[in-house]
Amino acid sequence: MKRGKFWITAALFGMCLLVWLPLLIMSAGVFMPEDELYWRYLSPLGLGRDRVRAALLPSYPSLEALEELLIRSPGFFVMFWNSCIQVLPMLLGQLMAGAPAAWAFARFRFPGRRVLFGIYVVLMVLPFQVTQVSDYLVLDRLGFLDSHLAMIVPGIWATLPVFIMTRSFETVPHALVEAARLDGAGEWYVFVHIGLPLGYPGIVTALMLSFVDSWNGLEQPITFLKDKTLWPVVLYLPDIAGDKAPVAFAAALIVCLLPALIYLNCQEELEMGVAASGVKQ
Amino acid sequence: MAGKEKGAGGRGRLGRLKRVLTPWLFLAPSLGGVTVFTAVPFLDVVRRSFQDAMGRRFVGLDNYRAVADNSAFRLAAGNTARFLLICIPLLMVLSFGAALLLAGGADSSRESGDLEDISGEGDRDGRNRRQRGKRYGIFRTTLVLPMTIPAAGMVLVWKIFLCPDGVLNQFLTGVTGQVWEVDWAFSRWAFSVLIATYLWKNIGYDMILWLAGLGGISGELYEAAQMDGAGLWARLRYVTIPSLRGTCGLVGILSVVNSFRVYREAYLLAGSYPDSSIYLLPHLFAHWFLKLDVQKMTAAAVMLTAAAVIPAAGIWISKRGRKE
Amino acid sequence: MAGKFEKRGFCQVKRGLAWILVGGLMASMLGGCQKSGADGETSMRAEQDGQGSGTEVSQAPGDEKSKPDAMGRYGEVQVQLPEKVEDQSYVGFLRGEGGNMELYTVERDGDAVKVTNAFRYIYREGAWQCDESWEGNGILKDKGIDLANVAYGPDGKYYVGGTDEEYMYHLFRLDGGGSATELLEDVFLPKDGQSYGMHPPKFEILEDGRLVVFDYYEVNVYDASGKRMFSMARDFSGNTGDRRGFCEGGEFVTVYEGELVRYSLQTGKIVDTMNFDEIKGRWGSAELFGDGNGGIYVANETGLSHGNRGGTLWEVLIDGSLTRLGMRSLNLQKFLEGDDQDFYGVFTGEWEKGIQMFHYEYDPDLAAVPPSALTVYSLEDNSTVRQAASLFQSSHPDVRVEVRTAVENGGTVTEEMISGLNTELLSGRGADVLLLDGLPADAYIEKGILMDLSDVAGELEDSGDMLNNLLEGFRQEDGAVYQVPVRASFPLLVGEQEALQAYSSLDTMAGYQGEKPLMKIGIYENLLRKIAHLRYEELFGAEGAVDREVLVKYLETVKALGDANGSKRAFTEDEFEKYFVSNNVVSDGIIGSATEYDRGVCDSGIERVNGYWALCLAAEVRYLHPESKFMPAGKIYLPSGIAAVNKSTANGDLAKEFIRCLLSYEVQKEDLTDGFPVNKKALELWVETDRPEYSIASGYGDYHISGSWPDIEVRREIAAMLEGLTVPVVVDETIMRMIVEGSGDYLEGKATVDQAADGIMRKLSIYLAE
Repeated sequence: MKRGKFWITAALFGMCLLVWLPLLIMSAGVFMPEDELYWRYLSPLGLGRDRVRAALLPSYPSLEALEELLIRSPGFFVMFWNSCIQVLPMLLGQLMAGAPAAWAFARFRFPGRRVLFGIYVVLMVLPFQVTQVSDYLVLDRLGFLDSHLAMIVPGIWATLPVFIMTRSFETVPHALVEAARLDGAGEWYVFVHIGLPLGYPGIVTALMLSFVDSWNGLEQPITFLKDKTLWPVVLYLPDIAGDKAPVAFAAALIVCLLPALIYLNCQEELEMGVAASGVKQ
Repeated sequence: MAGKEKGAGGRGRLGRLKRVLTPWLFLAPSLGGVTVFTAVPFLDVVRRSFQDAMGRRFVGLDNYRAVADNSAFRLAAGNTARFLLICIPLLMVLSFGAALLLAGGADSSRESGDLEDISGEGDRDGRNRRQRGKRYGIFRTTLVLPMTIPAAGMVLVWKIFLCPDGVLNQFLTGVTGQVWEVDWAFSRWAFSVLIATYLWKNIGYDMILWLAGLGGISGELYEAAQMDGAGLWARLRYVTIPSLRGTCGLVGILSVVNSFRVYREAYLLAGSYPDSSIYLLPHLFAHWFLKLDVQKMTAAAVMLTAAAVIPAAGIWISKRGRKE
Repeated sequence: MAGKFEKRGFCQVKRGLAWILVGGLMASMLGGCQKSGADGETSMRAEQDGQGSGTEVSQAPGDEKSKPDAMGRYGEVQVQLPEKVEDQSYVGFLRGEGGNMELYTVERDGDAVKVTNAFRYIYREGAWQCDESWEGNGILKDKGIDLANVAYGPDGKYYVGGTDEEYMYHLFRLDGGGSATELLEDVFLPKDGQSYGMHPPKFEILEDGRLVVFDYYEVNVYDASGKRMFSMARDFSGNTGDRRGFCEGGEFVTVYEGELVRYSLQTGKIVDTMNFDEIKGRWGSAELFGDGNGGIYVANETGLSHGNRGGTLWEVLIDGSLTRLGMRSLNLQKFLEGDDQDFYGVFTGEWEKGIQMFHYEYDPDLAAVPPSALTVYSLEDNSTVRQAASLFQSSHPDVRVEVRTAVENGGTVTEEMISGLNTELLSGRGADVLLLDGLPADAYIEKGILMDLSDVAGELEDSGDMLNNLLEGFRQEDGAVYQVPVRASFPLLVGEQEALQAYSSLDTMAGYQGEKPLMKIGIYENLLRKIAHLRYEELFGAEGAVDREVLVKYLETVKALGDANGSKRAFTEDEFEKYFVSNNVVSDGIIGSATEYDRGVCDSGIERVNGYWALCLAAEVRYLHPESKFMPAGKIYLPSGIAAVNKSTANGDLAKEFIRCLLSYEVQKEDLTDGFPVNKKALELWVETDRPEYSIASGYGDYHISGSWPDIEVRREIAAMLEGLTVPVVVDETIMRMIVEGSGDYLEGKATVDQAADGIMRKLSIYLAE
């Protein structure tokens, strides 16, 4: 078994290496002064032709880019804050609207359930481009355009989290629910006290994935927000042309920092939640 | 007597009404919003697919005919199908493998269980999981990281690897001794490049889902299987995989959803008219949109939705028919 | 059990750490935003939405109709200047003795070179007074100095600077009673090996008698004895009159490395920096001045903004787009704070002439934003549109023209931006006026997005005021006109008859057998773009489609030309020096090369002529080579600022009015270096206007050339050429990119022409099939 474990670790290590290598190159870029970056990456930056000299560590470490971004770019802060304002209430809304719906799909048998669920799935798969104009019209009618609401409100009713949460609620042991019902617990009580705790991993997964999607989503803000001061931070990136490459690296790092950190937390929650559901069965 | 009967009957009717209503009450907040923000726009899309570009005139099935005859559409649909057929199974297998490896660490430590630990079943499990968290957490975190990075930030790194003067060519030159100067993103390799970036980005996403699924499988099932003398493979074959059927559907559908997002990478890496092997439906949709050909875009979207929904519905109906 | 606790402890530590990190990140973000509180956000919004006005505007942007109740904005009133000033040139505007505002001007002789008289005007109680007795004029005349700068020192004395006949700079202190002391005599002498000495755009005098003298790239501080103490680096805007910087409270504020920096005047070291990207405007030019409390005012085309000491955000007090500040034909010379929260701005036209002065005063009764709005959308900044917007607003005080540009200077246009615009257009929304440069104009026309402007066009054409040949190119077959060009430029060839003849077809270009290559060396992408523009009709045919045979011929031509002159896909830095090339891609591929022809590197040169200034060197080259001549490249011209009106606009008449304004004489007569006028009267004015003070020098290595404003014959000749051009060239950027990407290997010799053509045609057929 020890040997088996060794191979497992080795295989995982190999996979992780493939992830770390590009990420290290990116982080090294963050700490490179501008001229080193040009010297190393002239060709990929589209500024000329020269051999790429990739490096996992900068030769002349410098905090220039980070400083530029964090201290001298107030716009970046405003955009980062916009992202938070747009994503966090949306997640809360997804939880409040989505979780009961998912519970209904998973726990009740009612006519039209499967058809309705099928519709939810179809709506989930449609790419944004297709409904772009129609979405715009709806938001225009409601007067949400050009405000944070345009990002928050439609996001609350994304069907993807409902889908994931439904799957998770389906694994909640039936016996437990029945027992509670026999004890005279109301449906809402069962949902809040049994469904939510036991479906916790699914909810966290759904919100986590939803967070990443909306944090990195850039079509919606470009389409619905004319006012650039409302733009989320992810749009800071494409705004940067080749000559600001160091800042682009730094911005990419900072932008993904929050999702990564949140994941770091959810990871434990997720695992404990998963364990709980497994144990109590 | 009569009064009592009436009361009971009333309670019964009320109860039935309540039973019927309850799921809808749970659904209501979601359903209302979904109708306004997702279903109505979708119906608008369907409406537009029967109209001209500006929505001024009804044109019947003209748009559908135009799309079906469109050679660019056929190319894009074919490429997309190919991409999905190769990518999705690959992604699901790889992410499942990664999830198994991560969970496998726990399994093996469960077997080599700490004998000194006498604090009981549940607690032991919990502890092992924590150990697993400690030993494998770094791997897990690593694999999830790529999905959090915005495409625009990663593209430069991909270019560092893939441009003619890039790392990959240097590596191959070193290994083979020949000079490699392939422009990976722009040549016939583009398809493989796209698959690689898609896998790189999405393995973590799917892995989380698999892990959640794996965690949901009861430990007793494994123990029972182990007692029957089932080996590692047999347990995988007869316990793990059958228990994950639901998760499999979930992962599959989400992989499809995410595959539409691969366009962002493709566009940033290879431009809006890339090598014809990676000319996908999102490219076509984006171009149609740029040229204001929404009528074609909506018609194509409706066609594709129908192509996905009708077979699924057919299977479901025939299944139900058989059951009854 | 202890071990267990440890492990749990570890987990919690890790989790705790992560939360702390998240919390820290959020807190820093919050802190970063809240430092200036809601104020900060307001000011940014105000800048973007153009409702910056006064200090207290904080209404959220959004529906324009919901905010007419927001009142209060700085109004702009022109201050009448003495009549005499009209022909004089600006020298300085400052607060002098007794805190009065003073304007200094000079009068030049006929050639506009030598100063004949200098004047001082004093502003007292709302009226200007010419100070006939100003001693400065006499002193300078005696010494033969042309006045260039004036400053008023804290010692109550005036300091003047100017150049002598040898163009050497001298600085004097006027001691009163007709005497003057020369200061820093040695400083302005030419350094070893240089033919000119320093010409400071500005100098200031400190309380302690030290002198702060601006040079282009640095600002030097001299003690009272004339010894240099230290120098402080600054950015040079490229304009020899770059006066960005001021001293206040023992500190010196200027622009360095694209940011506002604060130097200590004790040590000469930077003590603080402040980002001003969001209010930088187009060239980053600005008038900087202090508020007396360590804060900084920045006045430029974006307006007047104020930043507190140590702050990170700018508060926009005056919106440039609503005032003369945003007008591209005016140069802001000086901005001063008045006594009562008011401001004065002095502007000039070109060459410091045409001085105008405006007073800015907060008016609580003025709507923060004019009640009706006309929006103009363009992907990139366009000077003529800004100019027209400014003029339009002054003739329609109740209309606010909002110019929305998708990318600020240097940004890249992405597909999403166009999609975003399309979404608005498809929803029946979108800007009233569109600039179609870079937008899919044909699709917009086909889908009926644009308004037919044939009435406007017809009326303009009939008036005889327009260059009808330029407008006609945009008439559809059915007579409709959906778009009109605002400016036009064209490629001008220079060389001998034989070489110029070669430009008449792809075949003749490819077959050119001259002593030297036909064209200047450059990167292949520019060569591809250049030939695609020059041979537009041959390559793209009437319908804009590409024929494979022609494509092959085109690629072979580019290859032949490139082989002849040594073009490459990209050059190394050593080669930059050696061949005087760069890797910069130009959208039409035309890099001025008349001087290369003069240098004898190639048999012909080409210039993209977008105004007479672009002809200075070319005209000189032709003069130096009597056997050479000018020729336009066929009938093609390059329109810029292609304006159209959104059909679903609610302000149709206003939008048409704006189009008329764009093409009007008043707008078109200004030379904003973005192309020739399409208005005939404006072009006539351009032809008539001589600018003897204008000259351009260029040189690299041993080669030197200089030229002055083209003479009247050349100006007439070029205008006549412009009037004969009928084919507007707008190359489809998507196709161009396919060609560039698909031909690289062939041009480098790694693939055959058939492979390249097949690859391009494959993509092209997808593109056309969509």
